[in-house]
Amino acid sequence: MKHKIRLTVNGELNELLVDPWQTLVDIIRNEMGLTGTKKGCGSGDCGACTIIFNGKPVCSCLILSIEADGSEIITIEGLGSGEELHPIQKAFIQLGAIQCGFCTPGMIISAKALLDKFPNPTEEQVKIAISGNLCRCSGYKKIIEAILHVRDLFQQMHKH
Amino acid sequence: MSIRDDQFSYIGKKIPLIDSIYKVTGEAKYLDDIRLPGMLYGKVLRSPYPHAKILGIDISKAIKLQGVKAVITANDTTKIKFCHLPITPNKMVLADEKVRFVGDEVAAVAAIDEVTAEEALDLIKVDYEILPAVFDPEEAMEPGAPKIYEDCEKNIASRFAREFGDIKKGIGGSDLVFEDRYTCPPVVSCTIEPHGCIASFDIYGRLTLWTTTQNPYNIQRALANVLKMQMHNVRVVNTFVGGAFGNKSVILPLEPIAVFLAKKANKPVKIINSRFEEFISTRTRYSMIIYLKTGVKKDGTLTFREAKVITNNGAYNNKAPGITLLTCNRIGNLYRVPNTRIEALIVYTNNQYGDALRGWGGPQAHFAVESQMDSIAHALNIDPLELRLKNANQPGDTTPWGWKITSCGLSDCLKEAAKIAGWYYKRNQTGPRGIGMAAVIHTGGGSMGTHGGGNFSEISMKINSDGTVNVITGDSDIGQGSNTVLAQIVAEELGVLIKDVKITSVDTDVTPVTMGTWGSRVTFICGNAAKKAAKEAKNELFKIAAKMLEVDPKDLDSKNGKIYGKRSPDHWLTISEVAYESTVKQGKTITSKVTYSPSNTSPPDLKTGYGNYCPTYSFGVHVAEVEVDAETGKVKVINMVAVHDVGRAINPLLIEGQIEGGIAMGIGYALLEKLQWENGKTLNPNFCTYKIVNSTEVPSIHTFLIETIDPYGPFGAKGIGEPATIPTAPAIANAIYNAIGVRIKDLPITPDKILKALKEKQ
Repeated sequence: MKHKIRLTVNGELNELLVDPWQTLVDIIRNEMGLTGTKKGCGSGDCGACTIIFNGKPVCSCLILSIEADGSEIITIEGLGSGEELHPIQKAFIQLGAIQCGFCTPGMIISAKALLDKFPNPTEEQVKIAISGNLCRCSGYKKIIEAILHVRDLFQQMHKH
Repeated sequence: MSIRDDQFSYIGKKIPLIDSIYKVTGEAKYLDDIRLPGMLYGKVLRSPYPHAKILGIDISKAIKLQGVKAVITANDTTKIKFCHLPITPNKMVLADEKVRFVGDEVAAVAAIDEVTAEEALDLIKVDYEILPAVFDPEEAMEPGAPKIYEDCEKNIASRFAREFGDIKKGIGGSDLVFEDRYTCPPVVSCTIEPHGCIASFDIYGRLTLWTTTQNPYNIQRALANVLKMQMHNVRVVNTFVGGAFGNKSVILPLEPIAVFLAKKANKPVKIINSRFEEFISTRTRYSMIIYLKTGVKKDGTLTFREAKVITNNGAYNNKAPGITLLTCNRIGNLYRVPNTRIEALIVYTNNQYGDALRGWGGPQAHFAVESQMDSIAHALNIDPLELRLKNANQPGDTTPWGWKITSCGLSDCLKEAAKIAGWYYKRNQTGPRGIGMAAVIHTGGGSMGTHGGGNFSEISMKINSDGTVNVITGDSDIGQGSNTVLAQIVAEELGVLIKDVKITSVDTDVTPVTMGTWGSRVTFICGNAAKKAAKEAKNELFKIAAKMLEVDPKDLDSKNGKIYGKRSPDHWLTISEVAYESTVKQGKTITSKVTYSPSNTSPPDLKTGYGNYCPTYSFGVHVAEVEVDAETGKVKVINMVAVHDVGRAINPLLIEGQIEGGIAMGIGYALLEKLQWENGKTLNPNFCTYKIVNSTEVPSIHTFLIETIDPYGPFGAKGIGEPATIPTAPAIANAIYNAIGVRIKDLPITPDKILKALKEKQ
C-alpha cells in the first residue's frame, strides 16, 4: 500500500505517494526526477547519494522515504545553476576538483554541510567531513584544496 | 615546472574541464539518469557455485510473476562466444552447459521495476551438478587438477616465450644473480558509477544501446558479432562516464543480456550492476605470480633478466595474453637490460576473470622489477638512486626488444624526485619512517598489435558561420579531461577562443571510428589528429581571409578569434567574419577531417615479438615516505613525490589530477586492496570490507612535471593516465624496507604481513 509523504526539497513543498521499501535516494531520483544525487552502492558506503536532510549531511540510500515525511531536503540542484553557481561549485571547477564528476554532487553537499556548521574548519576537519564520500579519480587533494579555498573566501567576507 | 613557452594562449595553461558546469550542478546525465518511456529493469541470475554443470533451468514460476515481461536463458541468445581477442572466445552471454565462476551469468529477467525483477530471480530454479573447482593457477597446472575446459591441457589457456639478446652471455657475465617470487592480487576498478546500459529497439529492429563505456566502437563491433546484427543497425551512445580506468572498454555480458531482454519484451531494458555485482562479477586486474631473476655486475650494471610470469586467467578468456605480454615487455625494457628471457603461462581457474585496469600489466611488472632493484642496491651497497641512474633508459636508445626511445626524461625524473623528496637526508633517518623510490616506463600514446589492430584516431571539424567550431571525435572523455585537452589544442592551432570550441560526445552513428580511450593514448593520438585537422581548417580560413585582406595567406596568423597579418597586425578580421564570408556568401562551410596514426610504429613481429609498437614512451618516478607502526603493522604514507616526463604539459591542472588520483589508486594496490576469494566466493564484496583510499588516507603529494618535448606528440605532449599510478606501489614497498628492513613481495602489504616479517626478522 502506498503512503503519502510531504517533503520540502530545495525550498519547494512536494506531496508524494511512496512504497514502504523505497529509499529516499530512489524517490529523489525517480519520483522527483532530481538525478543529480547519485547511487553508487545503496548501502551508505560511498556517499554519492549525500543530501542535506534537516540540516545534516546524510546518505539518502539509508533513509526510508516514509521516515522522511515532513523533512527538509537540499540536493545538489538546490545549490546553483548556470550563472549563479555556489562558491563551492565555483571552487571545484576552478581548482580542478572534478574528473568523472560522479562523486561531485555528494562531495559538494558534504562540503556545504561542513561549512554551514563549521565556517572555519582545519584541513583535518575537512578530510574527516568528506571521508564518507569516496572518489576513485582525484585522490582527494584538489577537493580538499577547493573546500579550504571556500573557507578562506568566507573568512575574508566575514572580515569585511 | 620547467620553463613554458609564453607564446601559447592555451597550451600549458591550467584550464578547468570544459564540462565542469554539468558535473557540479548535477545536470550531467550518467547511464542511470536516463529514462525511456516504457522502460523495464533487468536483473541477472548468477551462479552461486564456482564450477558446476547446468542440468536444467525452470523459469515457469518467474515468468508468471505480475510485472515480469521477459525471462531469458541461453536458448534465447545466439549462443555466440565472445572475447576481446577474436581467436579465443569462450564466454557466452548466458551459460549453457556449465558455469565456471561464482557470479557467472545464467539467466535474466526484465520487469516493471527492480524489486519485481529481483523477486523473479528467486523464482528461477536452476538444477546444478557441482563439480570440483580449482582456484590457484599453480595448483591448476598440477596433474589431477579439475579440468575447467575439456580440451585444455593443465588448464593452460595460452603460453608464450620471448627472448632477446644472448641470455647465456648475460648469465655468464654476471657477478651476482638475484631470484625472487612476487605476487600481485586481483583488484577491481571500484568506479563509483557501476557498469550498466540501456538497450532499445525501434520498430525496424534497429538497436540503440546507451552505455557507460570508454570504447563505444569496441562495444558496437562486439555486440554486432554476438547479436548477429549488421553494424549499421547497432548504435552505441556514450553517456557521461562515472569512472572507467580501462574496465569499461569491452562488452560485459550485461550489455548483450539487456539487448536480448529488450528484444523478447519488445521494450527498452536498463540493467545496472549493484555494488555487490561490481565486486563479484566485473572483471579484475589480473593477479599474477612473477618469478624474477636478475643478474648484475658488482658495479650495478644490469646483465640480464629472466622471468616466469603466471597469470591467473580466471574462468573465461579476455585480455590476459595482451596484458601478460605487457608485463613481460616492461620486465624487459625498464632500465637498459641487454638480455632477457621470459616465459609466460596464462592459466584457467574458477575465479572471476580479468580485464584491463589502469596500467594493464604494468603495475605487476613494476612491483616485481622495482622491488628487486632495491634488493639489488642493498646487496651491492649502492644507493638505489645511483643504481637506477646507472641503468636508466636514455633518449635515442633502441632496446633489445626493438623499442625506439625518443624523448626520455627518466634520469631527470630520478634526480628531481630525489631532490624534492630530500632523498639523501631521509634515507638515513632512524625511527619508524622510511623513504623509497620506483620508476615507470609506459606507452605515452597507445600501441599497435596487442589489440590486434592499429592505433589511430580520426577528428573532423566544421567552422560555423559565426566562427564557432564543432569538433567531432570518436574517443571518449571518461573524466580524465581528454575533451578539454582537445579543445585546447584546437583553439591554439586554429586561433579561436576555447569557449568557441564544442566537442561532441561519442555516438557510433555520427562520430568517426577510433580505437577508443585506453593505453594513455588520447592526448597523443587524438591530439595529433585534432592539431592536424585544425591546421587544415586554418589553411582554408587563411585562403579566404587573404583575399579579403589582400595579402598572401603565408603572411597571416590567428589568435584569440582574429586573423591578422604577421607584418601588419593592425590589419585584421575576426574569424567569424571570415567564416561568414565562406559559408554564407561563398556557400562553402569550412570543414576538415584527419585520421592520425603514428609513423614510427609497427606491429610486433608475430614470432619474436620484436618491434617498436608504441609511438613514444612516458617515464616517471615516485618517491614515497612512509611511517610503519611496528606494534600494529600499520603503514601510513606521509609524503609522495611524483615527477613525470609528460613531453609537454598541455594542461598541468588535469595532469596533476591524474597523478594525484593515480597515487591514491596505487596506495590502495600497495596496502589495502585485494578481492578475498575463498573457494571461489568473494568474502569482501562491498566498500566496507574492500577498502579503497578515502580522504583521511591521502599523503601530502608534490608533483613536478618534466617536459622533454616529444618529437611526435602534439606540441610535444605524451600520455600520463597510467604512468600516474604504476610506480606508487613499489615505491611504498621500498620505503617500508628502508623503514623497518623487511621486504614484502606479496601485495597488498597488510599489517599482518608486516608483523609476521618483523617476527621472522627477529
